[in-house]
Formats: sequence, C-alpha cells, structure tokens
Amino acid sequence: MTTISCFHCNEPVLTGNRFITRIDNVDQMMCCPGCQAVSQAIVDAGLLSYYKYRTEPGNRQTALVPDSLNHFSAYDLPEVQQDFVQGRDGREEVTLSIDGITCAACAWLIEHKLQKLEGIERIQVNSTTQRAFIRWKPGLVKLSDILSAIGSIGYSAAPFQLDDQEVVSKRNSRRFLLRLGLAGFATMQVMMFALALYAGYFTDLETEYRDYFRWVSMIFAAPVVFYSAQPFYFSAIRAILGGKLNMDVSVSIAICGAYIASCVATINGTGEVYFESVSMFTFFLLLGRYFEQNARQKASVSSSNLHKLVPLTASLVTENGIEEIPAKKLQVGNIILVSPGDVIAADGKIISGISGINESMLTGEQLPVSKAPGAEVFAGTINLEQPIKVEVTAIGQDQLVAEIIRLQEMASNAKPAIALTADKLARYFSATILTIAAITYVVWRQISPEDAFWVTLSVLVATCPCALALATPTAVTCATGLFTRLGIISRHGAVFEKLPRIKTVVFDKTGTLTCGNFSFGDIRLFDNIDKARALNLASALEQGSLHPIARLFARMPTSLEVQGQHHVVGLGVEGTIDGKHYRIGSAEYLNIAKDDMQSGQWVYLGDDTGLLAAFEIQDKLRDDARDTIKALKAKNIELQIASGDTSAHLQHVASTLGIDKVSGGLKPKGKLELVESLRRPDTLVAMFGDGINDAPVLAGADLSVAMGSGSAIAKNSADLILLGDHLHRFVEAMNIACKTNRIIRQNLAWALGYNLLILPLAVTGHVVPYIAAIGMSASSLIVVGNSLRLLRLKP
Amino acid sequence: MSIIYILIPIAMLFVLIAVGVFFWAVRTEQFDDLDRQGASILFEEDTPATRGDAAASRTEPTDKP
Repeated sequence: MTTISCFHCNEPVLTGNRFITRIDNVDQMMCCPGCQAVSQAIVDAGLLSYYKYRTEPGNRQTALVPDSLNHFSAYDLPEVQQDFVQGRDGREEVTLSIDGITCAACAWLIEHKLQKLEGIERIQVNSTTQRAFIRWKPGLVKLSDILSAIGSIGYSAAPFQLDDQEVVSKRNSRRFLLRLGLAGFATMQVMMFALALYAGYFTDLETEYRDYFRWVSMIFAAPVVFYSAQPFYFSAIRAILGGKLNMDVSVSIAICGAYIASCVATINGTGEVYFESVSMFTFFLLLGRYFEQNARQKASVSSSNLHKLVPLTASLVTENGIEEIPAKKLQVGNIILVSPGDVIAADGKIISGISGINESMLTGEQLPVSKAPGAEVFAGTINLEQPIKVEVTAIGQDQLVAEIIRLQEMASNAKPAIALTADKLARYFSATILTIAAITYVVWRQISPEDAFWVTLSVLVATCPCALALATPTAVTCATGLFTRLGIISRHGAVFEKLPRIKTVVFDKTGTLTCGNFSFGDIRLFDNIDKARALNLASALEQGSLHPIARLFARMPTSLEVQGQHHVVGLGVEGTIDGKHYRIGSAEYLNIAKDDMQSGQWVYLGDDTGLLAAFEIQDKLRDDARDTIKALKAKNIELQIASGDTSAHLQHVASTLGIDKVSGGLKPKGKLELVESLRRPDTLVAMFGDGINDAPVLAGADLSVAMGSGSAIAKNSADLILLGDHLHRFVEAMNIACKTNRIIRQNLAWALGYNLLILPLAVTGHVVPYIAAIGMSASSLIVVGNSLRLLRLKP
Repeated sequence: MSIIYILIPIAMLFVLIAVGVFFWAVRTEQFDDLDRQGASILFEEDTPATRGDAAASRTEPTDKP
C-alpha cells in the first residue's frame, strides 16, 4: 500500500481521508486535525502563495490542540508584559521567537496573516533568526490576539529571554563584518598597486611612480592595520599578560612589524614594501574569525529562542474571591486554586481536592500521579482531573525546578573541557615561529647586519598562519550548514571533534526512544461488539477529561451523547448513553481480576452486564529507534538506557531494541551519577534526553543530544538538538563529523606543509613580497576549497 | 602617465564611497536575513487567481531521510 504524504507537513497520512482541505479546487489529504486546521486557515486568509513557493514542508501539527489556542490571555497582564514589551510613543513593540519557520515562505505567510489584523503597524519576520518584530496600537489589538493569530496558521510564537551572550555576540558579529568588509575593499585596492609594483621588479618602473604607488598603498593599508586588525592585537596582549602564547602573538608582530617597516621603506624610498601581504593577511585571518563568530552567533540566537518566556499565572484565593496574578508575585503561605489543565505555579501542599498530577517534566513518566490533601505538588507540573487548592510552601529559588537547574549548572561546570586540536597546534606553531624568527635575526646579524631585519620580517610574513587559521572554522562552518539541512542544531564547534570519539551512548526512554505520548496497541472485543462501536462509546465517555489516556480516546470522533458523566479520580468515568449505563477505566474500577490480561497497560470498557472491550495503551517506540540502535551497534558503541520510569514498559522497550544495560527509577541526580561513572579519559559518553529531569545529565555528559520537542531547559544544556525528533539523524551526524574531522586534518597538514616549504626560503632571504603574497593566497584558497568539498556530501 | 596623479585620487574617492555604503548597509541590518528577501519577489501581494497546477508545481521538499 502506498502511503500518501500530508500536503502540509509531508508526514505519511495514516488516518485515511478524514482530514481534507480544499486547496485550489483540489482536495488535499492532511495527516491530522492540526494540519487540517492550519491549512484551512491559510486558504481562508488567501495566502496560497505559501504552498506555491515554500521550499520546506510545514510543521507537523500534532501539538496543536484546538483548545490550546486560548491560553495566551496571561500574556496581556501588565506585570507579565513589562519583561518583554517596550512602549514607545503610544505604540507597543515586541520581538517574538517563532517556532516552525522553515523557509522564506513561512516568513511571508506570517507577515501577511498579521497584516490583516487591525492595529498592527509593523511586522517584520526574520527567517534566519526565526523571530518577528511587531509594533501595534495597544487599544486595537492585544498581544494574545497576535499570538493566537500566529498559532492559527501553525506556528508557535512566544516572547523569549534574550541571552546576555547574544547581545554581545550580535555586536561582535556586526563589528567583524565591518572589519572584514573594510579589509576586503582595501586589499583589492592595495593588490592593484602591488601588481604594478611587481611589474616593476621585472621591468623598469620609474622611481617617481614606484614611490607614488607605495604611498597610495600605504594610505589604503592604514585602515586595515589600525581598524580591521584590532581584534588580533587585543587577543595577543591578553595572551601575553596571561603568560601564554597564541597564534595572535605572532600574527600581531607580523602585521605591525611589516606595516611599520614598509612605511619606513616608503618614506625613505628604499627596501621592500609588504602592504599587500599585510592587508591580505588580515583579510584571510578575519575571514576565519568571521566564520567562527557567525557560528557562535547562530548558536546564541537559537539558545535565546529556546528560552521561551511562558508567563505562569496563578489564581490566588483571597477574601473577596479569586484573583489572577503572575506567579512571581506569589508569597509563601498563599492559597492558590489550580483548575484542571493548569500548570501549578509554585511548590506547595494540597489542602483540598484529590487529583491526578502529570509530573512528566520531573520524572519522565507520562502517567498521572494521584495526589490527595497533604501531598506535595511541584511548580511546573500539570493538574489533570479535579480542581485543587494548594498552599504555597516554596517560591523562586527554593523550588524543585530551581534545584534541578542548579544541579545542571554544577554539572556543566564540572564537565572536563576538551582541548581542540587546532588550539593546541596554534600554541606550538606560534612558539616555533617566534623562536625561528629570533634565531634567524641573530644569525643574519653575523652575516649581514643591514639585511637582518628584512629577512626576519619576511620569515614572519611568509610563514603566515592564514591557512592554519582558516583550517578549522571553514570546515566547521560547512559541516554546520550540513547539519542545519539535516535538521540538527549544533551549539558549538567542538561537537565535530567529539562525535567520532564517542564510545558509549545513554538514552532516556520516554520522549526520546519512545514518542512520549500514548497510542493504542492491541484492542480486544467481547460480547459481540464491533471495534468502531467500542471506540465510539469510549470516546463519548472520555470527552472533556484531561487525563492523557482519556485524551487519546477523546480525540476519536464520536456521534453519541452522554448523560450524567461522572469522573472518579485515578480510576475512570461512568455515564449513560442511549439509556444504558457504561463505565470505562482501570481494572479495579470495573472489578475485573487484573491477571486476565498479560503485561502492559489496559483500559476497560464495560456496561452493567459485563466487559465489552479492552484497549491496550502504549507509548510507541519512535519509528527510527530500531534502525538507529542497529546502526550505533554496528559502530561498536556501547548502549544503555537510563530512565526515571520503573514500569515493565522499560524492560519491554529495552528488549525490543536489544539494549541489555538498563537503569530505571533514576532521579535527575542518579542519571548524572550514572553518566559520570561511565566516563573514562579516552571514551566519551553521549546522552540523549528531552525532559527537565534530563537537564543536569545533559549538561554533564561529554556530548548531549536533546530532542526538538523536549523542554527548553533540556535544550539549553544540549550540544546538539534534533529538530523533528529523528533519532536516525544522529547516526548521520556522526558520519558527517568523521568526514569533517578528516577534512580538518587535511587542512592542518596542508597548512603546516606549506609553512615547512616556505620557511627555508624565508630564512635564507629568498622571499620577496610577491612570493609571500602568492603563497599566502594559494594556501588559504586550497584550505577553503578543501572545506567546501564537505558541502557536496549528500545528507 | 602623469594622468594617474588625478585618476588614482578619484579611484580612492570611489572606494571611500563604496566603503561608506557598505558600512551603512551593515549598520541598517541589511545583511541580517539573506534568505528571506531573495524569495519575496515570488509572492503576490493579494489572493492569487485559482490555478489547478499550484499543487503539482510545488517543490518537493529535500527532507528525505
């Protein structure tokens, strides 16, 4: 059977033709109600160009539940807004981070959708940083309207916490671009005059013109030396003050020395000038730095984007009734009312009400935990079944979540730093060059004192570390581009050195190896009922419940009306349909002996006469989990599972995938200890996770991978983020990293080789400026060209 | 040959203007989003006329695992 792909998100359509949108008079199949709603919104808004010109499929919309579109109201509270909205002459401005922008068509779609809203003055979507700048008139439109308009076409927008790093990084990127551009312009000009001067070596150029060209070159090279090359001087001074040597020390000496000497030669009309070498030198080095800076900037942008500001509000119980306040204004001792479906705003104790709480963010377990008065509840967990009243016992830094974040910070500080090959090489290289230059000077002083300075200078200029400085950044930039095409965000360049050295991989279970939400497994029917009827009844009974399993039933379409629906917390639901009384829920609720069924989780449907149907509920493995595990095993990587889960499902997942080492029931700290115990000096440990409970271990592992659908805190401490949750991409990432490493090694070998070749020539005084310039550009171009070979890889 | 005493300063002036334009472009964030503006010419400003081949001519996404 051929599967049809969803017109909106390109995922296979497994629901038949239940969800259809009419686009351009053709009925297009959609995979889920979310995609259907989104595509319908796009069509209704007359934004068909999106489908015409997009280059990437849209986002899968499973996360979009129709009733989630009204939870933005908290963003309208003034106390919440003061963190991210700027008022300016009667207008409000905000920058939002938008998830799901895949190409320019998305940016256009969002801009046009929002322009149709009344009161929007300016909207500008940047598809590179995935952000939107919006200015609106406060009286006409509310921020929550804007957010839900973006939500209705399938993107999720939220204000975000701007990383301090990003502000600095953006300023730096811009400065680097200015320096680079200036150096580029100046180098072009200086090179033109240099060509005339080279011609002068072979033919007779009149001294008058020669000096004129030299003066002009000197003027053009000045801004390069005084403005563009500044970062190298600062870095060199910092290194020397710290008692260390780095590449910038020899670079700075070469740039300043060559420029000053060339100026002297120009003014006196003698000797050699190296203006073109100096400018080109600076230009190539800046190019390498710019690449690195850009990669860092991208990483800081994506990490800011991950840091969403979700306003937590709480319903405070006061003497005059219920008051909606931002969570940060809560005090210890306050009583708050938490309705079903709401996030609990602070750590506290239940004082009245019994309900099931979804604590998956802390434990990774999807099943709700039943809690009665006196039980502790934690900030960030979700109340599912009944309203409860909670007395606040801890706020801010004393909460459990803050505890986990502290653990995460400790883990990331304790993580052993990995020394990059290129940095180590640079240190030795610099020391060697400076030593050789010093020896050359001393020796030439004995031979011919007036040439000593020039020869030493040519040693410094000719052994240019340009190629060396470009070797790693160019390769890493190309590889990062490949990763982006694969849907992997890499947060720093060290990832490429670490990936091939990984010997152990530890997986979290829920949400990583499994999809993290429930689906039907086996369905058994009794008493002559057919499957459709059973599902229809179950769906009708479960309407309106927030329990994750109930939601699974409730998503099915139903045509039946229920009277007298009654929920029993933690057990099930009963109700009357067409005059008959039905119950759905756990074995206990329907008085069935548990061992009728084998292992697994079952939900039973029965009426007054007995059992009608039994549904197996399971957390399905990700489609590519098996292949990924197989591929990793083929690479001789040791695999483990570390989960907070204790159920039989854990063993079942492990045996299905063929992983023998399983640790269950681990708290965040336990996971971290496990990974630390696996770490050996020569074997790196990689960790996969998705929840808040994985954040510390992700921060502490040598290399951490977070799922794109995971929590923001987990993504914040991960080195790699798998957008779209395709586990198999990790294997591809490993292959790319191996190739990247090979390319880096080739580049370094070439750069060192070139330097070894030119060094004897320089030491013996055979390097005239044009040789230095040719060698420099040739070696740098070869390195860049070699790195570009990476882009030819087909991911 | 002495003409270069006039021509080269003029060339310098042009370079100066070019650098000025470049600095202005960077400062006004012209280089911040390079993917978006290249595609903007494709999009109509209003609802396009109904065409049957819009779906067929859709670019296949490159996202093949």
